[in-house]
Amino acid sequence: MSASNIFAGERLRGTAASVLPLAVILLAWEAVCRAGLVAPTLLPAPSVVLLRWIALLPDPDFLHHVAQTMIRLLSGFAIALAAGVSIGLLASRGGGGLLEPVIRVLAPIPKIALYPAFVLIFGFDHASKIALVVADAVFPILLATFHGARSVEPKLLWSAWAAGASRRATIFTVVLPSALPSILTGCKIALLISCVTVFLAEMISSTDGLGHLLIRSARSFRIVDMFVPLVTISTIGLLLNAALVAVRNRLLVGHGNHR
Amino acid sequence: MKSALRKLGPAASTVLSLGALLVLWEILARLAQIDGFPPATEALVQVPLILGERESLASIGASLWRMFLGGALALCFAVPVGLAMGRNKRIAQALNPVLTAAYPIPKAALMPIIMLWFGVGDLSKVLVIFLGVSLPLIYHSFHGAHAVDEKLLWSAMAMGMKPVARLFKVVLPSALPDVLLGCRVGLAMALIVMISSEMIARQSGAGDLLFNALDMALYGDVYAMIVILAAIGFVLDWVFERVRRRLVHWAESRQDAMVPGGGV
Amino acid sequence: MSEPMIAIQGLTKRFSTADGRRHLAIDDVNVEVAEGEFVSILGPSGCGKSTLLYMVGGFVAPSSGAITVQGRPVTGPGPDRGPVFQEFALFPWKTVLENVMYGLRQQGVSKAEAEARARALLDMVHLKDFADFYPKELSGGMRQRVAIARTLAYQPQILLMDEPFGALDAHTRTVLQNELLGIWERDRKTVLFVTHGVDEAVFLSDRVVVMTRAPGRIKKVVEIDLPRPRVRAELLVNRRYQEYIVELEQLIEDVHLEAAGA
Repeated sequence: MSASNIFAGERLRGTAASVLPLAVILLAWEAVCRAGLVAPTLLPAPSVVLLRWIALLPDPDFLHHVAQTMIRLLSGFAIALAAGVSIGLLASRGGGGLLEPVIRVLAPIPKIALYPAFVLIFGFDHASKIALVVADAVFPILLATFHGARSVEPKLLWSAWAAGASRRATIFTVVLPSALPSILTGCKIALLISCVTVFLAEMISSTDGLGHLLIRSARSFRIVDMFVPLVTISTIGLLLNAALVAVRNRLLVGHGNHR
Repeated sequence: MKSALRKLGPAASTVLSLGALLVLWEILARLAQIDGFPPATEALVQVPLILGERESLASIGASLWRMFLGGALALCFAVPVGLAMGRNKRIAQALNPVLTAAYPIPKAALMPIIMLWFGVGDLSKVLVIFLGVSLPLIYHSFHGAHAVDEKLLWSAMAMGMKPVARLFKVVLPSALPDVLLGCRVGLAMALIVMISSEMIARQSGAGDLLFNALDMALYGDVYAMIVILAAIGFVLDWVFERVRRRLVHWAESRQDAMVPGGGV
Repeated sequence: MSEPMIAIQGLTKRFSTADGRRHLAIDDVNVEVAEGEFVSILGPSGCGKSTLLYMVGGFVAPSSGAITVQGRPVTGPGPDRGPVFQEFALFPWKTVLENVMYGLRQQGVSKAEAEARARALLDMVHLKDFADFYPKELSGGMRQRVAIARTLAYQPQILLMDEPFGALDAHTRTVLQNELLGIWERDRKTVLFVTHGVDEAVFLSDRVVVMTRAPGRIKKVVEIDLPRPRVRAELLVNRRYQEYIVELEQLIEDVHLEAAGA
């Protein structure tokens, strides 16, 4: 399982060298705006966005929206994690014959299309948004768990059985740890999807949250305030991803390029 | 039961599980008795009515056309970029932070901004789809190109192949399994971005139809549209998977694509 | 003679190939192994000798025939038969110490006692200072030592060794062969040892079972009547050792010729 990954994980040598291009792009953008080449009502300078963002950070109203988004994001992800891992394990151990085709039917459905149904069933509040996050995030975790658990080296299982471990015990002492690298990769994908999904759900129908902030600003053409929620969700996504990478490095000390 | 299902083969078991899901839906809805959750049969009868209407059919067709355009543009742009990143450290280092920052941004969420720039027409929608498909494509092409066996490239160099030729004649074929995996994820992404951007912009298209039905409380139509979109997702994925297997039959069977793969 | 430790009678194994044909891997194998005996199964790759071992381990079910261990039929894996695999099969997420403790913990031995016994075993295989390392940080020879210690920890009566030194370099292999003999000569466990190395089989075993290929049948059983404790340097100049080597090499060559002619 490759831990290296362009979007995170890989330890880039020379952070300065890798941040430089981003700085160049931001500076060029800044310069274009300062020079008056684009109307500030269409594209605000990055410095203006950044200053507004910093100004808003201590604002209780803004933080309320951030908190609403985080509640939906994290609870949806947590439910998806619990459900994905348990269903994935179940499907890989025997239940596969029944669950596999069901998963095959459900996985390629664009979950966002289910959102109206969730709104009708769960209402306009947290529940429908959390449901959508779960529906979107559960499949990467489920499939990763399923594949990880299916590809457990049989001789690891044999070694455990021969050592007197029961079938049930090997699920927790062999199958789950073996599948862990794969599960964490699934989590990484699911986490990004959760960020995206919660934001979209809030844009489509909500009265609070970061997505709603963007829509509210768009209605009154406040371009700077449209960029702020985007910067915020991007930052949240990157921070959560960094947290996941840290957890991963913690949990996978023994895994890696053995053999 | 299990062995019986397995004997049926994947196609039959898929149909069977689809039927089982519909029956489950029917039963749950009849038990729940909520207005907003009609039984499967009530939704399914609406499907031919929606598809029979010229206007909605044209709307769905236009959506798919925009999706195709955005996807095709992304294919032409993202695959070479990803391959080049995979083979050239400098290019990778230059683009890495930009892509990293862009990854968690919901691409469909850019719709309001892009609409300010380019209006509410097709251009904005195609552009958003293009952005959404590009990222996973670049990501997977990068991985594929990164993992190409050095010795293959050395032999190509020894044969006097030029860098650009090497990229298309050695790197692309070796990275093809990964590129196609990226395409599959990109396909899922295109559909998601298409639907969500239409739900946000509310001008036309399949996502708009879906929400119009919701606004007018035509619950049967809402669920019928969901069924139609789900079917489109399933069929596109199925067709693509066939093509993919054809193209990379030489590669070992890889782990199934984890659809979907990231930023909308 | 008392009841054999392992009795294999009329053992046959068929596999279904991908295109649905039945492939006969092992055909009517009969072997008895006495308690404390060191028996090698020698054969070319693809003769089903590992499959035979897996069936004794209870990991793979036979198509027909019977395997009994101390008179009881084998129905699945059990801690009376400890496997050691060519691939080591260590748990990569556990440290060396935790790997060796695993079997004891699974059998309900207290943590303190399991740790004490595991440390004693690590000392025996000269890995005392590596208790807190992860398998990936060790060389192949060290990993196999850990795997042997992990299996010895739960004190199986039988060791099932599946080409345990096959993935090691020549030097490490001889070192580990010597160590294995040292351990075996101390507590005389019953050992079933699968290998394709003629010298390894002669050096270690009391008896060598030579197998044919496709299907795997017993070609011949050779008693290795050499004094113990065995010292490699002495054996190399031992006339009888040399004769065993020649005899077995000849048998293996015959097996290859038969397979090619078939």
